[in-house]
Amino acid sequence: MTEDVVPIALDEPTAPARRGSSASRWGRRLASGLGQALVVSYVVVTVSYLMVRLVPGDPAQAVLGARATPQAVAALRHEMHIDRPLLAGYVDYLGGLLRGDLGDSIVQSDQTVSGIVDRTLPVTLELIFATMLLSVCVGVPLGLLLALKQGRAVDHAFRVALVVLLATPPFFLGLLLIVAFSLHWTLLPAGGWAGTWPANLRYLILPAVAMSAFLMPQIGRTVRQVAIDVSQQDFIEATMARGMSTRTVMVRHVMPNSLLPVITLLGLNMGALIAGAVVVEAVFGLPGIGSELVESVGQRDYPVIQGIAIVSALFVVFSNAAADALYTLADPRTRRS
Amino acid sequence: MLGVIVVLCLVIPIVWPDSPDSLVAAPYQAPSLRHPFGTDSVGRDVFVRTFAGGRIDLIVAAVVVGASLAIGTLLGTLSGASRHRAVDTFLMRLVDAVIAFPFVILILVLVVLIGPDRKIGPMPAGLPATVIAFLLVGWAYYARLARAQTLALRQSDFVVAARILGYSQPRIIVRHLAPGVARVTAAYAVGDAILAVVVIASLAFLGAGVQPPTPEWGNIMYEGRAFIATAWWITVAPGVLLAVTGVALSLVADALLSGSRADP
Repeated sequence: MTEDVVPIALDEPTAPARRGSSASRWGRRLASGLGQALVVSYVVVTVSYLMVRLVPGDPAQAVLGARATPQAVAALRHEMHIDRPLLAGYVDYLGGLLRGDLGDSIVQSDQTVSGIVDRTLPVTLELIFATMLLSVCVGVPLGLLLALKQGRAVDHAFRVALVVLLATPPFFLGLLLIVAFSLHWTLLPAGGWAGTWPANLRYLILPAVAMSAFLMPQIGRTVRQVAIDVSQQDFIEATMARGMSTRTVMVRHVMPNSLLPVITLLGLNMGALIAGAVVVEAVFGLPGIGSELVESVGQRDYPVIQGIAIVSALFVVFSNAAADALYTLADPRTRRS
Repeated sequence: MLGVIVVLCLVIPIVWPDSPDSLVAAPYQAPSLRHPFGTDSVGRDVFVRTFAGGRIDLIVAAVVVGASLAIGTLLGTLSGASRHRAVDTFLMRLVDAVIAFPFVILILVLVVLIGPDRKIGPMPAGLPATVIAFLLVGWAYYARLARAQTLALRQSDFVVAARILGYSQPRIIVRHLAPGVARVTAAYAVGDAILAVVVIASLAFLGAGVQPPTPEWGNIMYEGRAFIATAWWITVAPGVLLAVTGVALSLVADALLSGSRADP
């Protein structure tokens, strides 16, 4: 184990000799990861199609309400392409998707679903990116600090605080933040979106803080645990024995090892982040896919809802694959095996 | 802690003099002895509404997590123990796909497709669709976990011994594999219950979920959101109770997980 660990910190920047073979191995892993992602994507799309056709109840009836005339329901069924036989409809649907066609909105009659997604998805991704940045910038140093102070009062106090933060739903924290920072101190806007950078930043701070409530504690806890595990390894003791300061050991040797699980954690949490963003956007009125979803739910605009579900699921699949690839790239151990 | 919350949710709506739906005082009254959590925008008592709402949240969470646990463990164990590769592959790709969807979004799609206004039996509007949506999605997480655990247990000595003794496949699954698998998935279920409670409450913010006037943590908070500057207690009371429930559940989950790890 020790022999496995030592070279990471020392070897990584200076290992050009092995590059060739390890790069091709990495390529193979990437390809197999991508292949798996494509299979899952195909199943995701199929599930989305079958969902509409097989879920109990008639979606057209659900859109129009119980008092709709049979003619109106039949007309909408035709418009939604759910009057077609199961298999023929499926082929049409797949063909449309390959051309980037997610169908048309029922309510916003001049808009395509892909147009709506194009408009709203960037806002959501910016929110997610801001959340990740904030959570990593706070969570990693906090985790390292707690590992250093392991077992002391600070450690216990912060660990309890992290559990409480983790248990607080982001939308509730968002409401509390609005009360404190927008209504009481009037420092930041309670919601909305400027549409231009860097003016958007002011609107992004509170939602990103609210979302970090569930990501940051996970990062903090993981980094703390890994940092403690790594500190007990022999090579850390060896560097200490060579007279390096605690800070140098932490920054040069413990931190790089603690960052690896963070990559995995971010990839695994992509789905939860999108789901969190949807709710937090609704609270803060950010014009991302979340607000679009709420509007579409209110109007029973189900093609839009379905389109957003597919796009977000595909996004999750490929970010998981990307996180896996990045992990392999960052950790020399996984390449050698 | 969890027990206290459950008991309060059961008892308070019964013994409290006000009913959750009746107008008992002037709107927007700050918390007082008579109304510990104040009154809401139409003058209902927030205290009794919060605990009556907790009933729905906790019962629904318990039901959907319990059912997901049972279905998922069964399917996952069968998938792991199955000798038919095709069954296993098909089920696991389905699980991958279901898990790839962000949970809240998938639930929301299903709720809309089923029809959020549909009523079934005595359940309040919005609840049937929420429960059905949870059942259609929730099993996948347990199936993946149960399959992994089954594969691990399948090689263990006691299962091999049972096979050599000539016990039938169903008997081995039910008597030997299932108990070991269920222990792991059950520990996970307690942690999952936190997520279930949060998602049920979140649905109110997304325009679905349990419809007012039936009290539920999410829709009480959503109704209070508009008046949060002047009457913060409407939103904060259920929110704090929700957070406390989350902490209580995570303590239970941690205890169960460390227990199951120590005990092979």
